[in-house]
Amino acid sequence: MAEMRPVDIAAASPASQTAEEAVSLPPEQPSTPPREWIRQNLFSTPFNSALTVVFGLLVLLTARGLLNFTFSEEREWDAVRTNLRLLFTHAYPEEQYVRIWVCVGTIAVLAGLSVGLAATTARGVSVKRLSSGLMALGAVVALGVVLREPSALSNADGSVRRNDSGVIRESFAEAMVDRWGWWLAAALLATAGAALWFRFGDERRRSTFVPSVELFMGVTAIVVLSAWVYPWGHYAFTDGEFIAEPGRTVAMSTKLPWTVMWLLLAVALAAGRRLRQAGAGSNFTLALNLCWLACPFVLYWVVLRDPDLDWDRVLSVDIPLGVLFAAGGAAVLWLLTDQRIGELGRIIAALLLGLAAFNWVAAFWGWYPMLQKVRLSFLLVALAALLAHNFAGDRSKRLRLLTVWAVVMAVFHYMATLMNSPSSVETPTEAFVGGFGVTLVVAAFTLLLSFPLGVMLALARTSKLPIFRVMSTSFIEVIRGVPLITVLIFFTIILNLFLPDGMEISVLASAVLGYTLFSAAYLAENVRGGLQSIRRGQFEASDAVGLTALQRTIFIVLPQSLRVSIPPLVGQAIATFKETSLLAVIGLFDVLRMANNVIPAQTEFLGVKREGLLFVCGVYWIFAYSMSKRSQRLEKQLGVGER
Amino acid sequence: MSSVGDATTALTEELAARNDMIVCQGVSKWFGDFQALDSISAVIKEREVVVVLGPSGSGKSTWIRCINRLEVHQEGRIVIDGVELTNDLRNIEKIRSEVGMVFQQFNLFPHLTVLDNVTLAPIWVRKKPKREAEEIARSLLERVGIPEQAEKYPGQLSGGQQQRVAIARALAMEPRIMLFDEPTSALDPEMIKEVLDVMKELARSGMTMMVVTHEMGFAREVADRVIFMEEGQLVETGTPEHFFTNPTEDRTKLFLSQIL
Repeated sequence: MAEMRPVDIAAASPASQTAEEAVSLPPEQPSTPPREWIRQNLFSTPFNSALTVVFGLLVLLTARGLLNFTFSEEREWDAVRTNLRLLFTHAYPEEQYVRIWVCVGTIAVLAGLSVGLAATTARGVSVKRLSSGLMALGAVVALGVVLREPSALSNADGSVRRNDSGVIRESFAEAMVDRWGWWLAAALLATAGAALWFRFGDERRRSTFVPSVELFMGVTAIVVLSAWVYPWGHYAFTDGEFIAEPGRTVAMSTKLPWTVMWLLLAVALAAGRRLRQAGAGSNFTLALNLCWLACPFVLYWVVLRDPDLDWDRVLSVDIPLGVLFAAGGAAVLWLLTDQRIGELGRIIAALLLGLAAFNWVAAFWGWYPMLQKVRLSFLLVALAALLAHNFAGDRSKRLRLLTVWAVVMAVFHYMATLMNSPSSVETPTEAFVGGFGVTLVVAAFTLLLSFPLGVMLALARTSKLPIFRVMSTSFIEVIRGVPLITVLIFFTIILNLFLPDGMEISVLASAVLGYTLFSAAYLAENVRGGLQSIRRGQFEASDAVGLTALQRTIFIVLPQSLRVSIPPLVGQAIATFKETSLLAVIGLFDVLRMANNVIPAQTEFLGVKREGLLFVCGVYWIFAYSMSKRSQRLEKQLGVGER
Repeated sequence: MSSVGDATTALTEELAARNDMIVCQGVSKWFGDFQALDSISAVIKEREVVVVLGPSGSGKSTWIRCINRLEVHQEGRIVIDGVELTNDLRNIEKIRSEVGMVFQQFNLFPHLTVLDNVTLAPIWVRKKPKREAEEIARSLLERVGIPEQAEKYPGQLSGGQQQRVAIARALAMEPRIMLFDEPTSALDPEMIKEVLDVMKELARSGMTMMVVTHEMGFAREVADRVIFMEEGQLVETGTPEHFFTNPTEDRTKLFLSQIL
């Protein structure tokens, strides 16, 4: 019922809070009529009125510029439309494309389950906000229609008609009539908003809420449905062939998978909610979070990479090795969790760690050959042995540890085997993901790896042991003193020279390593700020109840300090996400390089760059903004237990 | 080195026979140039309730914090239940799990529920199965009078309730000694009683207790012995009757005249 589950902090308290709020709502403020609001807020003094007018004009001019740019007849949006696949996945082979959809689908299912399982803390959007938002959106669309300069007239062949003074445009009145479709859209939005507004009374408008999840699913449902009915146009670039047919609906290879994705999301959402109502939430949430952790690795190495297993080798080497380590490690752990072993247990664990470290040292001199995964397995055994004494106790507790160990070994050896097998996906470039895909892959791996590393660095920097302090401080200061691009180039070019013979590392892996170290240094400083905010009494209390330093760190210090450092941590995560655009510089085909170099080099779209760049901006913004929004929600949720 | 070791053993064995829970011999401590404790010697026996009184800055809290090594004494020796406090980490861990402590500022873990606050150490230090630890925790919460608050967070409780959780948290480790460092000083007057009631009940149950407090009523009613400190020194010690009605030292008289 009451395990230590951070999720429950969010789950338990807000429910009671909303219940309290329902009982005693603050007295209703009479809403100011619009004219009064404008007078009070925009034109309160002559000076403020002048400011409003000047900056209002500035905003309008900027909007007009953006509209004219985006909707200009000279824009070749076909360059983006036909190259969407290139932008998102680069040259992932057509016949294997279902793998991409499996990845997207997996993420959709996980996301749906997570959202469904999480207790709804936010009440969503009030009808008042929703309806006024719709009306405002309608107004903005209408304003845009008026603001944009009249369209250029075109010749019979579709080119823009020009004379000596420039492009020939239709008159303003003609433009307004021509844009009837936009007028219709604006009118529809405004009408929908107004209808909603007047359907609900003043009171209910404020107190009725549309849950955000339903709103999101509704809007995406409209988008997905429109792909089947509205002629958005059929554009594709496959096998070097361009297809651009404006009058049709979206290609089947686009609308069908996305419809499936939407359905998967909806089903997972419903399933998650059902599970939560059935009370299975807590166990399931843990499993789900583990799935989230595992999903980048599995999706990248198993699904996308499609490893080509050599079954002879698997049966003769890989499986026996895995079983050997699972059994041997289990025996060691069983021994070390015996309560009678005492100090000897820790000494054995330290010796195992020494052996594991020696295996790596030996690799550099080539003393004895050893599979990389054997070295890693030894390291895992040693780490588990170091932690073992925490699980000493009765038989069931020890058996549980052994079960976890067996699962870890199975997963690790499975992954290692797959990673060692060659990929069967044939792509023109070394990395088989490209475009926005490589951005996501690098960002996901960097965040997953740099977060624990950053926490460890921060702990080391505040450690009592001088060796840890010096190592951590110098690492952080060195990395922070070097520009990211330098770190990346260093790692991609020089790292292989430092590795022992027979060990090689791909450009993508070394890039991830560079990003990870760089990001970890910054994360460490953010976490350190959180560590310093923990009051001394917390340390004293954990000492007084007899917790060891490690237990104190894990149970008391980190949970509190990480909560404090959420805003800077998310800031760093967003920065890392955006910095993946530097991948273009070290020779990987990320989405920026697609827009900046690859598309402008296609014969059909020679030199067409601006459209792609604007599109890339939009894609980056959508992801960064949703991360920032998500973090705000997280802060609200986690702030609840504390006061 | 060996002579010190031998002496320790000798002292330890001698004390164990006498059922002494806390033995301090010439304990001194300095903060920089300021001497906080000036060769304090005292013995607290099993099941004894000792209240330490004194003006603020007299070193009461420093002394009690030395006893479970939250502060490190620089001279003298402290022996807890037969184990001497030295730099040896294992001894410190052993002593800390035998000695419960309640702080002035409660120091509950704000990110954990009340139940998790109480069960954390039993599960991870005493290696108790979770269910057993929770059963014990719930019975302790009942004992301190707040069984219904188990699932709440410390921030949602009143000061008095928080302090009672802190007492339950310390008791969950099944300590042989309880230290109270001004447990009611941060509480609103109407909440002091509920905490003192719990402490009285604890004292009656036979717990060895050392209490730093300003609550004279508590000292008079519950204490077996009162120790008066000033400027880092033990000035006077005796039964509450002796202490409150017939103190011998002038400094004690002055202190009593100021507060009573």
